[in-house]
Amino acid sequence: MEAIKSWFRERLPISGAQLQELTNEPVPNHLKRWWFCLGGTPAYLFVVQIFTGILLALYYQAAPSTAYESVRHITHEVSFGWYFRSVHKWAATLMVAAVILHQMRVYFTGAYRKPRELNWMVGMCLLLCTLMIGFTGYSLVYEQLSYWGATVGANICDTIPVVGKYFKQLLLAGEVYNQQTLPRFYILHAAILPVTMILLLAIHIGILRLQGVTEFRFEDEPPGKPAQFDFFPDHLYTELIIGLILMILLSVLSTVLPAVMGDPADPLTTPEVIKPEWFFYVTFRWLKLFAPTFAVLSMGFIVFLMFVWPFIDGWIRRKTRFSEASVWIGIVGVLLIIGLTVWEAAVEH
Amino acid sequence: MSEADVGKPSASSDGSDRRTFFSAMAMFSGLLGGYGLFASLAARFLFPAGPAAKEWMFVAEVSAISPGAAFDFRSPAGHIISIAHLGEKAAAEDFVALSRVCPHLGCRVHWESVNNRFFCPCHNGAFDAEGNATEGPPKDARQVLARYPVKVEQGLLFIEVPLATLAQADDTDGAPEAVPYV
Repeated sequence: MEAIKSWFRERLPISGAQLQELTNEPVPNHLKRWWFCLGGTPAYLFVVQIFTGILLALYYQAAPSTAYESVRHITHEVSFGWYFRSVHKWAATLMVAAVILHQMRVYFTGAYRKPRELNWMVGMCLLLCTLMIGFTGYSLVYEQLSYWGATVGANICDTIPVVGKYFKQLLLAGEVYNQQTLPRFYILHAAILPVTMILLLAIHIGILRLQGVTEFRFEDEPPGKPAQFDFFPDHLYTELIIGLILMILLSVLSTVLPAVMGDPADPLTTPEVIKPEWFFYVTFRWLKLFAPTFAVLSMGFIVFLMFVWPFIDGWIRRKTRFSEASVWIGIVGVLLIIGLTVWEAAVEH
Repeated sequence: MSEADVGKPSASSDGSDRRTFFSAMAMFSGLLGGYGLFASLAARFLFPAGPAAKEWMFVAEVSAISPGAAFDFRSPAGHIISIAHLGEKAAAEDFVALSRVCPHLGCRVHWESVNNRFFCPCHNGAFDAEGNATEGPPKDARQVLARYPVKVEQGLLFIEVPLATLAQADDTDGAPEAVPYV
């Protein structure tokens, strides 16, 4: 036994104590409250997505003539194919929801403020990547929603002045949806975006480790309580339990509401009603409210404001007496998002 | 052990060791059970499914389909198939059953008896009576329409199609459709 240990020690010159030092960061006590685990939740779901995505990629064939049939084959013929496809779909849905909730938690607790502005911007990049990976994901099934969703998405790009047509060509690999479009979406969904997200996540967690988690004290905590607890095993145990609960939730959702197959894509038949996934309802309703160019440009401006919000907030706090303006702006923003989403969900057109 | 420690209850006697042990075991069993089951399903997923279950299905009486006519047929699994009576006789070789889904981008092709071809209106793709592309993007990509076997028995036409799962049967009311359109 000792010989095996020393064999490994020679080749991996790191001791248990060093490994513990590297991984065992003291975790602030407030992380025992469940809503502070919303950052770990999308990260866990992202791992689930990579695992189930690799499984699905073993059978999926990214070409207009084969895509729908290969998804049907996975869903109806491969052992537990329906389960892994449904888990992939539901994990995506929960991941988008968890990312949004995580961002709201960071926003309303002011955890983006100096010196954490850069990590907020990295988080915004992760949010946009999550939405894009969701969009390219449902385009791969090649059902009616996939085809017309991609077409509508490309037409939205086209409304941007000057550069819009180039975006559209870049997205569709041509002026209109063609045989090269689906492989392009597949590479974006299964290679470019996941690798980008892994790099961004490494930076996100790296900055978090360098700066430490923002510490909060709550009024109901006894004064003598230690401010921190160990990552290992305490916080790891919490994350493992959350992971198991998520797996149970995903399995229940996948069994009760499995991913189904819509009608196969038919470029000649424009559907009467076309709606994207729920997380694009806000965008979709916004587009219906205003002229296309104004809607797209104003949305871009809102995203830009979100990116640089820590600096705007810093300026407001320094120069004005409205130090808690961000809370009220946040409440208005959340109500607007919920309102537009419910509106789009409630009406047919 | 120092003299002061004598007589103090040990950690194990107040049950904390046992509690730690049982909570660690519960955690370990939960993780092993949960992820073990997930891994076993993934292992099953990796082994390719056998060929799709197929069945011969009745389409129509041969005498009801005049030469040059074509039918739309929707299998229980949702495949949209065009069955055309091409020959003069009423043998299996005189019928052809081809998928109506254009392999280019998935538009629906239709049989043009005047031109003796399947035509796709989306990008002007055309296929001969055997399903081989003759014009448009499908010809450039050397694509063909998927073909289904047919047979004639005692004056009845049958087609071999993949079977539906229960979920699919719900979508299509469990009954195939045969709709003449020419």
